[in-house]
Amino acid sequence: MARITHGIACSHIPALGVASDFDKWEDPYWKPIQEGFAPTQKWEAENLPDVVILVYNDHASAFDMKIIPTFAIGCGESYKPADEGWGPREVPDVEGHPDLAWHIAQSLILDEFDMTIINEMDVDHGLTVPLSMVLGKPAKWPVKVIPLAVNVVTYPPPSGNRCWALGEAIARAVESFDEDLNVQIWGTGGMSHQLQGPRAGLINREWDNMFLDKLSGDTQELRCIPHIEYLRETGSEGIEMVMWLIMRGALGKETRELYRFYHVPASNTAVGHIVLEPVNGDVPPSTTVEGNNAEAQTLIG
Amino acid sequence: MTDKNPCENAGGPIDIHAYLGEFDDIPGTRVYTAKRARQGYHLNQFAMSLMKAENRERWKADERAYLDEWPMTEDQKLAVLARDYNRLLDLGGNIYFLAKVFSTDGLSFLQAVSTMTGMSVEDYQAMMIAGGRSPEGQRSIKEHR
Repeated sequence: MARITHGIACSHIPALGVASDFDKWEDPYWKPIQEGFAPTQKWEAENLPDVVILVYNDHASAFDMKIIPTFAIGCGESYKPADEGWGPREVPDVEGHPDLAWHIAQSLILDEFDMTIINEMDVDHGLTVPLSMVLGKPAKWPVKVIPLAVNVVTYPPPSGNRCWALGEAIARAVESFDEDLNVQIWGTGGMSHQLQGPRAGLINREWDNMFLDKLSGDTQELRCIPHIEYLRETGSEGIEMVMWLIMRGALGKETRELYRFYHVPASNTAVGHIVLEPVNGDVPPSTTVEGNNAEAQTLIG
Repeated sequence: MTDKNPCENAGGPIDIHAYLGEFDDIPGTRVYTAKRARQGYHLNQFAMSLMKAENRERWKADERAYLDEWPMTEDQKLAVLARDYNRLLDLGGNIYFLAKVFSTDGLSFLQAVSTMTGMSVEDYQAMMIAGGRSPEGQRSIKEHR
């Protein structure tokens, strides 16, 4: 049986990819960030999963305005780093796990999450920067990756509640996969940042840390935050944090924080990072797959 | 038996008009709504075309001629030529697509973003290093908070 062992959240700021690719970590501007991720890199090397489900958003790389999937899952064999206009990052190709990905895709659709299935695409900094931050610069990525792309660019993005529920459905899907696999789920993007308009540069340290605090324990408060609050409090691009809630939802009822790092700034953005472990990984039963009966309902909440 | 919704008391049902209306109350921000996505479709797809090296070469050789291949409005074309990013946001541009234009110019996100704030790059970067722009007074136009 496959199982979700841990959740990781991590900003995916493109400048971090540049710092990694061009070995700028000793630069005083970047050094605190390198030091902030060093404990995670060490921990991750000792707790390597077989597969990472990596929740991210594409930034006008694989998807343009022609097609805008709300939730898309990569079921391909491998993915190349995208050319985002200045040549592709020189990082290894990303190897997929098509068996588990297709199993999750099928399970989610039966669970009434109507996923878009992607067999071929390039992956941009949204996916490759977190790999660099958590795994460093190996010649080959030591984990397989299932990309899960979320639309957080064109409004409306999915609600936080829907993202959390998708995470719960992913946990059910992983649990019903027969192969013995350790799976981590990563939520990426954020934290507070605004890349546009006269309000650009907005950072909200207090709100970001509230969000980090509430990822732990058994509170479900974060899933109910409306889009307008992200926009007002965390800048127009802070909405990416709904992707962290897919990760959190997949970890079940109660979590414990193993590590946290927060730093301002990297380029225009607040860097946020947390490592979570399930304390009670139970997720509610699927009302669709398992039946919306009284017994199932008593297990919810 | 009804489904338990953990957010049922979080603010009541969502009215799409109220949902979209609130976006106009955020200072200095253009939320990328369906309306803007429609208005800026060709502008954003033009920008997307600069992902390809051969298109970047043609664009650099003659920007106006390249723009004229796209069914964009004259206002959009002039704003692209002027690199007026706030104007481009007003005309339906999205920052991740406009990024293809400023990347082709060799500008970083930080450099390009600073041009929208009325600050010099140096002042903007200093503000970020000092912790960024405070949300105080930047949350709501109506409520002055």
